Amino acid sequence: MLLVKKGGIETVIEDWPGRIGYLDNGMAASGAFDYVALGLANLLVGNPPGEAGIEIAGGYFEAEFGVDTVISVTGTDMKPTLNDQPIPLWEAIRVSKGDVIKFSHFGEFGFRAYLGVAGGIDVPVYLGSKSTCLFGSYGGYEGRKLQAGDVLNFGKPQEDLKSLEGRKIKKEAIPEYSRVWELRALPGPNSCPDYVTKEGMDYLFSHEFKIQHSSNRSAYRLEAIKGINFFARKDGGVAGSHPSNVLDHAYAIPGALNICGDTPILLIADGPTLGGYLCALSVIMADLWKIGQGTPGRDYVRFVYCTRDDAMKARVELKELLSEKSLA
Amino acid sequence: MEKDYSVILDTLPEDGARPKVLFRQAGDGFLQVEYGEVPRFNLIDSFRVLTVNSAIKSKKIKGLYETVPALRTNLYHFDPLELPVEKLIAEIKEVEESLTDVENIVFESRLITLPIAFEDSETKKAVEKYVREIRPDAPNVINGYNLEYVALCNGVTVDEVKKLVCGTEWYNSGNGFWPGGGFFWPLDPRCAIVVPKYNPPRTWTPEGAVGIGGPCLYIYPTPTGGGYQLLGRTIPIFQFSQKHPLFKDSPTFFKAGDRVRFYEVAEEEILSIYKHVHEETDYEYAIKTGKFVVKDWLSFYNSEEVQKGVKELLAKQEAGSKVAPRV
Repeated sequence: MLLVKKGGIETVIEDWPGRIGYLDNGMAASGAFDYVALGLANLLVGNPPGEAGIEIAGGYFEAEFGVDTVISVTGTDMKPTLNDQPIPLWEAIRVSKGDVIKFSHFGEFGFRAYLGVAGGIDVPVYLGSKSTCLFGSYGGYEGRKLQAGDVLNFGKPQEDLKSLEGRKIKKEAIPEYSRVWELRALPGPNSCPDYVTKEGMDYLFSHEFKIQHSSNRSAYRLEAIKGINFFARKDGGVAGSHPSNVLDHAYAIPGALNICGDTPILLIADGPTLGGYLCALSVIMADLWKIGQGTPGRDYVRFVYCTRDDAMKARVELKELLSEKSLA
Repeated sequence: MEKDYSVILDTLPEDGARPKVLFRQAGDGFLQVEYGEVPRFNLIDSFRVLTVNSAIKSKKIKGLYETVPALRTNLYHFDPLELPVEKLIAEIKEVEESLTDVENIVFESRLITLPIAFEDSETKKAVEKYVREIRPDAPNVINGYNLEYVALCNGVTVDEVKKLVCGTEWYNSGNGFWPGGGFFWPLDPRCAIVVPKYNPPRTWTPEGAVGIGGPCLYIYPTPTGGGYQLLGRTIPIFQFSQKHPLFKDSPTFFKAGDRVRFYEVAEEEILSIYKHVHEETDYEYAIKTGKFVVKDWLSFYNSEEVQKGVKELLAKQEAGSKVAPRV
């Protein structure tokens, strides 16, 4: 088990792909924001890549281990320490009962770190997933972020702890981080010529958008669209006077780019499932993990045009990446 | 690379009562099926969406995770490595071609009566927070609320807005947005007030807030962000703890096809009901089971009296749209 000493900025239990099948009841899938970092953390400690781990956003999480086990830390470099000694990222580490792990703040690149534990985090499975949905206050650990005094139990390790120790991720399998996150995307469902001008679509697929401070696990708000003729319609007709308004439709989440008034908003993990704003493009599934490393108020995103075929290839590559082949 | 922004992957032509069907790309794992080339607010589209939706679900298509019906669209969520989008479209087309008659549909529909307190103190907090943190010059905020702006947009008074909200049954085209929230549309088109959504949206809305965006009404099940103009607040429609008997089987309340009717109360009554739902768990919700007969609704909708009222409201809205500031 693990005793939480400091909850940090926002630390939650998440698995992947989360709670699938409840969009029509307004329940987003939730799930790990950066599922690549979680997946690799899990592989290091012998878990299936989608097993529940600890997602640490921002930093300052501290906890004490109540058992001997094997852990791994991936994602942004929050300068983690074990009993005040630095520990490496992207490898399996033996810990003993009484050891204290501490995280500083998010690194030079990236925003979220993941803590994987052999056997995973043992919280109740709610509607098929252990993921926390912060906005619905359900799933994970009591439907909320972790705080001091919480006690987490671990599942049963799938492999002998000794065999896990010292496992590493291959250098080439460690994702590259940046301050400008390139997200491959497909246009639609509301695109040019009926909703957005060609100029508007060109802008979306070339501009570097700063991630706003008000971003969270349900929505990453980008800087407003300015200085171009973006909308193809003069108003939203019966859906409202603004041309970004449409009669409410389901949002393809995670990954839909909502245009809310003049503000583009990426709908993600805990996002809304239905609403009345148009969606001009969708980030492909294989690139969604990058959004989780986008640092609000500091980083930028850029949408890179791709085709359906590119997206299919990327899905196959992602499956490869989240397999034992990534272990050194 | 030359960028191709076209997103219509396939279509089905208009056929009698069926509007043109458009299959729109919505990412690599989603497909949006849209009814009608020109967006319209007509509930007949929702009756079609829900009928096709149940037929699709009963096919148990391998690789199809789920569907998310809305007023005039349905979103299909699938694994493209297992179910190529072309195959999914073929399956949907097959169902579309076998469905001929939406007018004769009769479906289960509960009538739920809910109290509403207009311009209550929690709504005020949400509006204040928006002005403070998101948009200080928001034109849709007048005297600390959105209600006057809603009235302005529709060329009516605040009292008339309240009467319109309480004067119709609201039909749920399907749940979404946040857990258990329904998307409600006026069954009496003479009550179809229309407003633009927030620009940009709020980051916080209280539990039970009642908002309106376009012609659609929404009840916020839990505290969340949101973009609808806020009218006031009703009682809980979501309870994760499932302590109250209404929520025994599920933390959510509404189902697609439900109808809601509102009546106005003072805020104290709403607050007292919150206690009786969440703490004492003895509040009795007013629910009547019943059926919705599409044919009956169509003759009501098309009646001379109703259409005359619609024209009158449209004229007021036309005038309102000229004076209401844009968001």
